Amino acid sequence: MTDDPKMQQWAEQIEKDINGNLIFVYAKGEKNMAMCGFSRRVMEIFDRLGVEYQVRNVLVDPIIRQAVSAHTSWPTIPQIFIGGEFIGGCDIVSEMYESGELQKTIEKARQTANA
Amino acid sequence: MQDSVSVDAVRRRIEAALPGARVEVGTFSGHDHFQAVVEAPQFAGKTLVQQHRMVYAAVSDLLGGEMHALALRTRALGPAEQEREAVEEKQP
Repeated sequence: MTDDPKMQQWAEQIEKDINGNLIFVYAKGEKNMAMCGFSRRVMEIFDRLGVEYQVRNVLVDPIIRQAVSAHTSWPTIPQIFIGGEFIGGCDIVSEMYESGELQKTIEKARQTANA
Repeated sequence: MQDSVSVDAVRRRIEAALPGARVEVGTFSGHDHFQAVVEAPQFAGKTLVQQHRMVYAAVSDLLGGEMHALALRTRALGPAEQEREAVEEKQP
């Protein structure tokens, strides 16, 4: 699988995405222009929290989605990373937001990043 | 083009993969967008990511095909809850 240079390139890009940003979202659509309700809901949650986050649109090239799912073994999009850690999809982020766990996770990752 | 998989078939799949689980399956915005509430004893001590992975595994061949989406709500079913439910089921 990793013999494919394009896949290898994307695997490296994903490492940069998730480790170089506090919150990173692989979504269907761009920021403020979600093409799917689940991706939209995740972006709305981060907007409501007023936190900075970056989005990569997997619809740009099918290989991005393939590389992301290869990285996490997670079948669906969106996929959310906080502090380089895979957090889950839309349902998990929504549930964590409702319980307040999401805000705590972001704060913890922020402290670790600043330490 | 084959019809999409039925709600019952999805429920049976999840129940077979997680014996003793309480499973509710429905659809939203069309017949290929599924949602499921799964409460299983196997979820005890597992993170949400692990719990969702276990449900996805039960329907992995359907996801992306007949199943366009699967919205999930999962919860661990503890021994106390299983017992209480067993009692409730016995009551008329």
